[in-house]
Amino acid sequence: MKRSVRRRTTAAVSVAAVAALMLGACSGGGENGGGGDGNTVHILVTKHALTGPMADMAWVSDLEEMADVTIVWEEISSDWDQKKSTMLAAGDIPDLIVGVNAITDADLVTFNGLFEDLSDDMDALPNVQGMFDAVPATEVMATQPDGEIFSVPSYRRFWPETTTRQYINQEWLDNLDLEVPTTWDELFDVLTAFKEEDANGNGDPNDEIPMDWAPPGNSGFGGFQATSLLSSLGMPISDGGSSTYFVEDGQVGSIFTDPRYRTVVEFLRECYAAGLISEEVMTQDYSTYQSVGRGNGDTATVGFSWGWTASDRFGPQLADQYTATAPLAAEGVDPSEVVWSYDDYYLNYGVNAITMSAQTDVHDAALRVIDAFYDQDMSLQVLWGDFGTNIEKTGDDSYTVLPPADGQTDPSTWKWTTTLADLGPGWIRDDIDVQLPADLDEAVTQAEPLAEALSHVDPVADVFPIQFFSLRSEDSSTISLNEANFASIAMQNWATWVTEGGVDTAWDAYLQELDAAGVNQNLEIYQRYYDDYVASLG
Amino acid sequence: MTVTDTAPLKLNGRRHAPSRAGRSGGRGLLRHVRRYWQLWLMALPAMVFVAIFAYFPMYGLQLAFREFDFSAGLTGGDWVGLKYFRQFFDSAQFWTLMRNTVVISVTTVVVGFIAPIFLALLVNQVVGRRRKKFFQTVTYLPHFISIVVIVGMLQVFLSPTSGLITRVAQFFGATDVNYLGDTSTFVPVYVISEVWQHCGWNSIIYLAALASVDTQLYEAARIDGAGRMTIIRHIDFPALVPTMIVLLILNMGNVLNTGFEKIFLMQNPLNLGVSEVIATYVYKIGILSNQFSYATAIGLFNTMINFAFLVITNQIAKRVSNTSLW
Amino acid sequence: MRLKTLRLRTPGDIAFTVVLGLTCALLLFLTLYPIYFVVIASVSDPTLVATGGVSFWPRGISWFGYEQIFADNRIWTGYRNTILYTVVGTALNLAVTLPAAYALSRREFAPRKVLMLLFAFTMFFNGGLIPMYLLLRDLSLLDNWLVFVLPSAVNVYNLIIARAFFENSLPEELFEAATIDGANYFQFFIKMALPLSMAIISVIGLYYLVQHWNDFFTGLVFVRTYDKQPLQIVLRDILISNQAFAGGAGGAGATGGSYAQQYADQIKYGVIVVSTLPVIVLYPFLQRYFEKGVMIGSVKG
Repeated sequence: MKRSVRRRTTAAVSVAAVAALMLGACSGGGENGGGGDGNTVHILVTKHALTGPMADMAWVSDLEEMADVTIVWEEISSDWDQKKSTMLAAGDIPDLIVGVNAITDADLVTFNGLFEDLSDDMDALPNVQGMFDAVPATEVMATQPDGEIFSVPSYRRFWPETTTRQYINQEWLDNLDLEVPTTWDELFDVLTAFKEEDANGNGDPNDEIPMDWAPPGNSGFGGFQATSLLSSLGMPISDGGSSTYFVEDGQVGSIFTDPRYRTVVEFLRECYAAGLISEEVMTQDYSTYQSVGRGNGDTATVGFSWGWTASDRFGPQLADQYTATAPLAAEGVDPSEVVWSYDDYYLNYGVNAITMSAQTDVHDAALRVIDAFYDQDMSLQVLWGDFGTNIEKTGDDSYTVLPPADGQTDPSTWKWTTTLADLGPGWIRDDIDVQLPADLDEAVTQAEPLAEALSHVDPVADVFPIQFFSLRSEDSSTISLNEANFASIAMQNWATWVTEGGVDTAWDAYLQELDAAGVNQNLEIYQRYYDDYVASLG
Repeated sequence: MTVTDTAPLKLNGRRHAPSRAGRSGGRGLLRHVRRYWQLWLMALPAMVFVAIFAYFPMYGLQLAFREFDFSAGLTGGDWVGLKYFRQFFDSAQFWTLMRNTVVISVTTVVVGFIAPIFLALLVNQVVGRRRKKFFQTVTYLPHFISIVVIVGMLQVFLSPTSGLITRVAQFFGATDVNYLGDTSTFVPVYVISEVWQHCGWNSIIYLAALASVDTQLYEAARIDGAGRMTIIRHIDFPALVPTMIVLLILNMGNVLNTGFEKIFLMQNPLNLGVSEVIATYVYKIGILSNQFSYATAIGLFNTMINFAFLVITNQIAKRVSNTSLW
Repeated sequence: MRLKTLRLRTPGDIAFTVVLGLTCALLLFLTLYPIYFVVIASVSDPTLVATGGVSFWPRGISWFGYEQIFADNRIWTGYRNTILYTVVGTALNLAVTLPAAYALSRREFAPRKVLMLLFAFTMFFNGGLIPMYLLLRDLSLLDNWLVFVLPSAVNVYNLIIARAFFENSLPEELFEAATIDGANYFQFFIKMALPLSMAIISVIGLYYLVQHWNDFFTGLVFVRTYDKQPLQIVLRDILISNQAFAGGAGGAGATGGSYAQQYADQIKYGVIVVSTLPVIVLYPFLQRYFEKGVMIGSVKG
């Protein structure tokens, strides 16, 4: 094993390599030092994942012109939450951050001092002031308990009042000679018929799923879910119950502990036991749920469900088979008490749409950019896209949103691809006239059967206005700790009770368990904020 | 071999115990460095990197004992001692979280430790280079499938109505089970898919160890008329033991670690009772609501338990097998 | 040698071979099928895939997913970056890890116990993301490609494995003989230890390589300029932009573009194929170091 050993070759090769790399590291350096000319504004924008580059949006140069600035964009389209906390904690933010809820209320509280208080700059923000005057809710939304304004919300006005619409397969009803159900009992019978007969007429009586809904979260509900049935009992929820709280006649309550919730669970249990609900309803993921709803070619598989629009929920091919229906009434409930999830603050407002850094060295230029976003024409272009390609200006205050240029994309995808859309800041004036795009039109039309139920909701006394609360840091932490505890207990019981039963025997112990996990403590805290909010409305 | 200018080294490293030199203060250390400067130099780059990128940022652990106060800086918040640890211990979910985490991670550690050993021994028995290579490549492939897709595939294969596995199980007489929603199937589904995915990958290290077995040993065994099982038991297996012990010690440092993403994606309200683990809890309260101090405290607690297990296993291994990390 | 292994000697051996064959066939099916599924799912109609309609052959074939993936120019930048980071990173990893592992495997290297403990400590305790971010900012490593290489230069897990291998597989007699011939540590390490440890070097190298190849977190948190992003970030962005509405169409009027929603899954599977193929191709080249007897053979030879 004689091997000639050369000279003292060294492991220092590696040391040298490291040293070289270290040197490289020091000279490498970042480039975003920031412009000192007072006219270059650095903006971080959180975009929808579909949205193209900012450079492709024509309105961006109009914005620069209006505000007399040059904008350097940092564009984020995924995983913002993961990037954000380090960025904020290190204090490393650009002059402006754009994007609805990119900076949350919790961030505003946690990172005190990082964001500019705009309340003393309102003179430089005439458009924003105009919005606050015209739509007072936006000012309430923006203002912190101590009067600071760290961010400006958006207002878009044309959206319907609710996210969730209710659909039933009209073709199936016709095939089986049935009427659109109006009560729970009728629904039960219709669903049973769907299950037992060959409702879609493809020769297989067993491939129909009578009822299906969107996958529930692990910490609360949301749109397109069975919580819609709470409306049948008069419980006024908002955002499909995603907060797990509701307000009724000025009283904050928890969905999880309300007896009406128990009634819904019992009804769903009956349906599930009778095989009327998809077996996978509690375990499927969103893409399975969507795919199932789209059926198989021309053959629908789902009879009764909830969605944003029929074409979104069931696909363009099957959309015509479905009809949007009015909320159902439960037994013994007067139709005048039936309500529907009221989501206006969610759909027509966007919290914290634009936020400014307190350390910016282009203070005035940044203010000009903020205000330019709230200009009438600019707001429309940010929302629906450029004049010319996406919007036609037909008169001083009248506009038409154009259909997609390539004729293949659906209007919604088109909008999200070409502009910031719903995530952008802006103020759509109440007194302008806009010809809406087809997707929004469909949503508005299919919400019509819900109009009466929604009219039973008082937007102040019957809506849990989470968008208006700016929690103090200790409250925010108590609330989220409690929620982490009780929401998972509650969701677990929800799923088990519906699929396996047992709510009757477990209910009382369950209430105690939730109380111990802090549900009532949260109600007390929120009641305080709610009362303050009502008082602030004057 | 050419003679170099470095003095020949002292032999007999095994019994030579210069460790006292290290302990007897500065002069001893200096002498040690002068004598073994080459070894020091070889270890130095790694030490520098670890010092800079692992030890320097460790001041951030203070956060577990302080309030996070942005305006006062990362370590400028009020000292609150064990407040956040207590908050965790007193939390309504503490025992559930601990139980779920331990059940999932210990099962994964045990099954995930044994399976690759068997696989490596098996691969080693496959006759024919090409077949062996093919088999090896195939078993290591699943490692590269992303978690999102793994969970997506579980959804498809285990669907109670259309899933392939469900249908096969029904064929063999299984009654209606929703493998994704049943609390009793969550852990098996998680662990089996985990082992399936990483077994081949983890067996690579054992294959490397088997590659170092002297082929003459096999020859000798053959001549003695040993069967293949005997050869595996008396030649292959012992060759793996040192690697096994090291990996076992390292694995024991994972008793409270569970993959976050996979569990998070596999969670649904039906299995929440067994699928809520420390990692998902920290995500829910820490990341989603800016509870930096609380999240750091839970993380630190987790780490200390894990480290304790590593140290204990290491001590036991040292005594029993004379193999240890330090 | 090969003939000898083939010859079946005892009845036990025959039974063994049968069981072995069956087990291998079963394992092969269990691993191969899901991988096959990924491949066919990447070209099948996503609706059918999600509803269990695709089992053994692709249905509703469409290349939309791959078209989407490759239509994106960023993917080539991503590939280039990832290859650069992987090659440089792995080289540095090995250059740092192997000498240290060797030094720590020497029993006469007294501080090794303390050092091992200190190394192992960092596998568990770390200061968290924020101090790391601040440190990298101070070192000007933010938004710098070296951030993919330097902070991850040592993986203690790999260090420990390499050290254990050096300790257990290099016969001490070898070192003693070399020292008699006057070799020093450097010489022994480079001339003897490394060539004899090709098996473990390829394992550790593979571990590091895959670690760099799959690294997406570094780019996510520490890099803000898009043309420095690795493949994994690019693929994730392509994936997410097509999964746009999957998180819940309930968003502020986010009416699911049926187009986007529907093909998201196809892209999901396609991305696996695109990102994994290069690593798979590489593996057989390393496999020759796992051949039986490769090490001792070279010593004795």
